[in-house]
Amino acid sequence: MAEVLILGAGVSGHTAALHLRRLLGSQHKVTVVSPNSQWNWIPSNIWVGVGEMAKKDVVFPLAPVYARKKIGFHQAKAVAIRPKGDADDPRGAVDIEYTLPEKAGTTERLRYDYLINATGPKLKFEATEGMGPGGHTESVCTADHAVEANHKLREVIEVLKTGKPQTLVVGTGHGTCTCEGAAFEYVFNVDHELRQAGVRDLARVVYLTNEAALGDFGVDGMVFDQQGFQTTSELWTGSLFRERGVEAIVGTHVHRVEERTIHYETLDGTSHTLEFDFAMLIPPFGGVPLQAYDAEGNDITSELFAPSGFMKVDADYTPKPYEEWRAEDWPTTYAAPGYDNIWAVGIAFAPPHQISKPRKSPNGTVIAPSPPRTGMPSGVMGKTVAMTIADRIKHGTSAAPHTASMARMGAACVASAGTGLTKGSAAAMTMLPVVPDYQRYTTGRDERETRGELGLHGHWVKLMLHYLFLYKAKARLGWQMIPE
Amino acid sequence: MAQLSMHEPAGGGNPVLDLSKAPLPTAKTLGARRNLWLQFWRFVAFDLRIMRMVIKGHH
Repeated sequence: MAEVLILGAGVSGHTAALHLRRLLGSQHKVTVVSPNSQWNWIPSNIWVGVGEMAKKDVVFPLAPVYARKKIGFHQAKAVAIRPKGDADDPRGAVDIEYTLPEKAGTTERLRYDYLINATGPKLKFEATEGMGPGGHTESVCTADHAVEANHKLREVIEVLKTGKPQTLVVGTGHGTCTCEGAAFEYVFNVDHELRQAGVRDLARVVYLTNEAALGDFGVDGMVFDQQGFQTTSELWTGSLFRERGVEAIVGTHVHRVEERTIHYETLDGTSHTLEFDFAMLIPPFGGVPLQAYDAEGNDITSELFAPSGFMKVDADYTPKPYEEWRAEDWPTTYAAPGYDNIWAVGIAFAPPHQISKPRKSPNGTVIAPSPPRTGMPSGVMGKTVAMTIADRIKHGTSAAPHTASMARMGAACVASAGTGLTKGSAAAMTMLPVVPDYQRYTTGRDERETRGELGLHGHWVKLMLHYLFLYKAKARLGWQMIPE
Repeated sequence: MAQLSMHEPAGGGNPVLDLSKAPLPTAKTLGARRNLWLQFWRFVAFDLRIMRMVIKGHH
């Protein structure tokens, strides 16, 4: 019997757990550790944040699904990894602390034969003074944050209805943020809601982003072939901003937020302030804090984790300038160096470098979008590692690993720009590969597969993905037929 | 990424991008984006492209 332990039940961890259960016989044990009791389809938090969906529409309890699939579940957070076990047992172990209300604070040491770290991000609101739900800005990173954001948005809409102008700011709250796509979606959904409420003319809507150019999305932008001409995602998204009357401020790092005032710096090194009545700023992500110890109890955290808190895997972490970045720098198996039974997937793995060109202001402020590794790529990584582990268990430890590099795989990004079956809209993009490969393609990506389209059909696609991925995550009949 | 010159601060205390050179969609384009029949076919085409990409790029 083999025991597989998965830390995290987000897209990558949950996907890995379901596939492992499908691929392995019942004599093998699959266990998930997650501090959250519910699974959240995070892309739809955008709609919760504008009141178009309720929290219950984007979450469901994990425990019944795991009970039905015979997957062990501990509602707890992992606090330490012991890859070589301890004095009592040489098998790897993970120390957990329960978050389940009845057992809150209780600790336990779980043993494993194979470990997947899919812990996702730590939302680092504290990186920017005054930012976040505990401060002066909103967030849509969790379903609860999105519910609160909608409450605040409704208050602002009520003020607008009295005829008093309001400024709404949406964007990134730090120079190293990722998930610009989420901010992009939210700003256009806010714009859509303001129009629906008949108050758009009184609202100033501002998109404040760490991207050096619109349409960068943390992936160095895209080049599309449109009707025989090459166009950029910069021009394409710029068109949408102009059409909707959304102001854009790019290349920003927010230093601090006070009540109704954002203090930020731009790439040219100048400082600015922006007054606001409502702000939703995405925080930067860090790795979930985990310590690592050897069998003697010595701290080996820096051996397993990068300073950012993300786990090192089979990437090339040699520091090098942007011009020397290569597709081969990106990991393929997600195995932790030096360990043949530990992997990190989704946001938990340490990327070798950014995807977008990193920049600094003349003051030395780093303004460099971090690489997105959510959604489709996360699910693919989870499935890939699950297949590797299943092969190792069934065919021995010499079984070749499965691979899935972000410099090979594609992704679809459907950025909602407003809801409604006949009035909705979305920017629907596909890119192949996610990480541009300028040695292979002149524009960095396969031009046949890299496209951007705006229209009602994009909203239908996003709605379809919402229902499909909730169905899949609930492990309903035929779930495995739905691709990651 | 190819750069287009849209970066002209418009003043007003904040360096807001000058988007006056970004192309505005024509009435025909806006209509096409809402046309149920056309959008149905775009929906089908987009879904097929995702599936092709899954097959081509994921393993």
